[in-house]
Amino acid sequence: MLRLVVCIKQVPQVSELPWDPDTGRLQRELAEGMMNPACRFALETAFSIREKVGAKIAAITMGPPSAEEVLREAIALGADKGILLCDEKMAGADTYTTSSTLAKAIQSKIPRFDLILCGSSTSDGETAQVGPQLAEELDIPGVAYVDDIEITGNKARVRRVADQFLETMEMELPGLVTINARSYIPRYVSMTGFQAAFAEDITTYDAAALGLSPEWIGSKGAPTKVLRVYSPRMDKKNIVLTGTTKKIIGSLFSLFDDRIGGIIGKDLKTDKKAK
Amino acid sequence: MDYNPSLKSKSLRKAVRMFAEAEIGPIAHDIDRDAVFPWDVVVKMKSLNFFGLQAPKTFGGAEMDSLSYAIVIEEISRVSAALGLCLTVHNSLAVYPILRYGTDEQKKRFLPDMVKGEKIGTLCMTETSVGSDAAGVETHAGQEAGAYVLNGTKIFITNGLVCGTALVFATTDYQNPRKGSVLFIVERDTPGFIVGEKEDLCGMRANPIATIFLENCHVPEKNMIGHPGDGIRLCLKTMDAGRIGLAALATGIAQAAFEASLRYAKDRKQFQKPLSSFQTIQNYLADMATDIDAGRLLLYRACEALDSGRPFAGEAAMAKLYCSAMAMRIADKAVQIHGGYGYSKEYDVERYFRDAKATEILEGTSEIQRIVISRAVLSQRA
Amino acid sequence: MNEKRRAIWVFGDYRNYFQNRVTLQLISRARELALPIGAQVSVIVFGHNVDEIVGNYTAHGADRIYLTDHPRLAEYSMETYSFLMERLARQEKPEIILIGATSFGREFAPHVAKRLGTGLTAGCIGLDIDENGLLVQRVPSFGGNLIAETVIPERRPQMATVRPGVFQELEPDPKRVAEIITVPMPEHMPPDRIRLISSELREAKVRRLEQAKIVICGGRGMGSKKKFAKLYELAELLGGEVCATRPSVYLNWAGHETLVGQAGKQIRPNILLSFGISGAIQHTASIKNAHFIIAVNKNPNAPMMKMADVAIVADASQICNALILELQRRIATKQSHPSDLSGNSAV
Repeated sequence: MLRLVVCIKQVPQVSELPWDPDTGRLQRELAEGMMNPACRFALETAFSIREKVGAKIAAITMGPPSAEEVLREAIALGADKGILLCDEKMAGADTYTTSSTLAKAIQSKIPRFDLILCGSSTSDGETAQVGPQLAEELDIPGVAYVDDIEITGNKARVRRVADQFLETMEMELPGLVTINARSYIPRYVSMTGFQAAFAEDITTYDAAALGLSPEWIGSKGAPTKVLRVYSPRMDKKNIVLTGTTKKIIGSLFSLFDDRIGGIIGKDLKTDKKAK
Repeated sequence: MDYNPSLKSKSLRKAVRMFAEAEIGPIAHDIDRDAVFPWDVVVKMKSLNFFGLQAPKTFGGAEMDSLSYAIVIEEISRVSAALGLCLTVHNSLAVYPILRYGTDEQKKRFLPDMVKGEKIGTLCMTETSVGSDAAGVETHAGQEAGAYVLNGTKIFITNGLVCGTALVFATTDYQNPRKGSVLFIVERDTPGFIVGEKEDLCGMRANPIATIFLENCHVPEKNMIGHPGDGIRLCLKTMDAGRIGLAALATGIAQAAFEASLRYAKDRKQFQKPLSSFQTIQNYLADMATDIDAGRLLLYRACEALDSGRPFAGEAAMAKLYCSAMAMRIADKAVQIHGGYGYSKEYDVERYFRDAKATEILEGTSEIQRIVISRAVLSQRA
Repeated sequence: MNEKRRAIWVFGDYRNYFQNRVTLQLISRARELALPIGAQVSVIVFGHNVDEIVGNYTAHGADRIYLTDHPRLAEYSMETYSFLMERLARQEKPEIILIGATSFGREFAPHVAKRLGTGLTAGCIGLDIDENGLLVQRVPSFGGNLIAETVIPERRPQMATVRPGVFQELEPDPKRVAEIITVPMPEHMPPDRIRLISSELREAKVRRLEQAKIVICGGRGMGSKKKFAKLYELAELLGGEVCATRPSVYLNWAGHETLVGQAGKQIRPNILLSFGISGAIQHTASIKNAHFIIAVNKNPNAPMMKMADVAIVADASQICNALILELQRRIATKQSHPSDLSGNSAV
């Protein structure tokens, strides 16, 4: 029986982001949470592994008390248990401290795991860094952007597309994958699953329970510091171009080559090759 | 009293909304326009146990309380009222009475397939000349060696075309229909149970509402719920609980119409300003939001009464009466805010308008709700 | 090794054309960032038989190139590369490491940062040096709805991955010379825990409209079906997708599947080029999440023009044709450009 750990994250529902109209700031505390979409793919991948070879699946998240919700959702979808890492001292973590905290929790609470699955990135931070850094912290092999995974014995065969290369790799277990997965379509919460999830216990650990020093976690331990956050929409300029066609095209490219030049450059080339 | 929704309620709403928006949303407009029942989506709903919302776990159900049930119906109806109607009729008017009033043998025989959604349920009450006046039932149940022979015509039967198990209300006694009233569980494949054509209705068009003909339809005695003479009481009790589903359905439509209006008012510009900057529109939106909240509170109060085992008939009738009228008011305002677009079949608002009207008629008209409520009111001391 | 100067490192990511471009863009930006802190720009190259690449980086502005050339490095390997990178960085102590936000870069960089115990900012769209000499990194989040500015005040090196197309590469100068430092492959390498079984370059798949990064949208102002068809030519040149407004679909200039302006349909491309669209509410509601909008319309007061980043007051069809010509001209120039790397010559 394999032991799978799926790392999930609660993110704000982007469609409902409440903005402060005066400052252009996101009022994050008002936003409704949801499970990060890529994490649903990671969970679904874990379910497909369980269907094929049998597995126990633990879902783990670090977040505020309200993150209990995504663990319940994970259980409703089919995870066997939920672990919440919750402590004010963990708040403000960057990917470095997030991965350290997750690693510590996994080492101490689920030490005999075979495979860790993460979503390839989150819809809020979009860093795609926690998975790779967690693998590094645990000193296990990690492969990112996995589309497809097959487990045989103590090896995982994974497929992915990275930078237009279709790659097949074999990874030793225990290991970690971040899931891009177009191969597994996430299921929905069933009504019976939902009811059952709210009958389960969620295990919560704080920093002390994990033996984590406050100096090394959350914003205190984070190497990166956020100076400020702003809405780019406030920077939107409405530049008007008039005149002859030649003049307009000229100014378009001279003004915005930095913005569109790189993308255009790339796609010009792709196009050339196609022909 | 806790007016703050619990984590469980909020999560349930999100979970159902995610499914409804992703799976029903893209087709909701088309299934209404083409008046088709979306089997593909229904198959998914079956596998997610939407057809066993309140049935006990032993029968494979989700064993939800009424508040959770109302939230599910509300969220499905917010995207497609026709499918919300399918679910509420199945769960409240077919599964619920068997569960509540059926024998153990009947439960074992009928519920597993119904809870799985393999057999979609319905309740056949309305007849060509009998609607609100249930006691005037004309469908006859004649006795014949361990069976009853049903003859009659039932119209406006929700889920009619697709039903697998129907509850049929009839009477053994033409002279005194009330005294002879009976309620049967009839399987669709019973000879003489004939499903007619789909009704061409103003709203709820994706629900296969149909006429059902009973022609010498032999139903075994063991399919009767309760005893002869119980029929009308069982039907009315069932309708009491069913009102919660209908009120939730109406609230879902209203919510959809309100959200569409809010989006539109913020985006649409007239006289170089968004509609939402005009005080008239602001007032409309304020009234709509207040109206929906009022209806929802009445609905949740009725749920709470039912769940805690208190009498709830008056509360449920108030919720149904208020929410259906509220849905109609909200849909009307939504069309008005949308102007020409609101009146166009290209957009969803006119669908909300047509669907909302059905909630004032289905499962007891608003006039009947007032009778139920007035009985409760008049029994109080002046 | 020799003189210790502050250094900005750029990871030489060259596996395909587009990875190579972002490396060149980063060299260019690194040179600008190096000025206020008096640093030199080094490019780190791991590979086998990569002389052409080394030459290319030299011509594009590298002061110094650290090169490990070994048959074992012929295929990209995240494990091997991060082991080598950590080792080299511990030895040379660069101030800053910049890595292209390619798929590989975004996988490789977090491993390196963790090994070095330092911070890393993902997918930057802007880099600057502040008055304290710190690298200020600008990074979008929430699908571009927010921009955060971050710094790594204490730990070194300061690391960032940077999105392609943010900076402009320098014109290559074949006369430039860089100091090439050959770094030998260490004798003892940790065992591979990940084994590459196969790798093949694939053509980019056709993206669906909702996922397209560049969208070209045409409205009634294009004038005719024939003129509208030119948008497809432009889309092909840009690697984008074409969409249409309701009127142009009704006029049968475009298929129904291209319609944008329905309840619920949202597109969020990086660049939206809007041609001859006045901006009915159903349309503007569907495209308002585009990051950068260029709109062409004769009427400067059309709602679409008001919400655009760039509003071009002109005939839509004429601008479309002129853009096609200009892009074709640029392709021709690029194709004849001698210093350009071809797609996957390095692999």
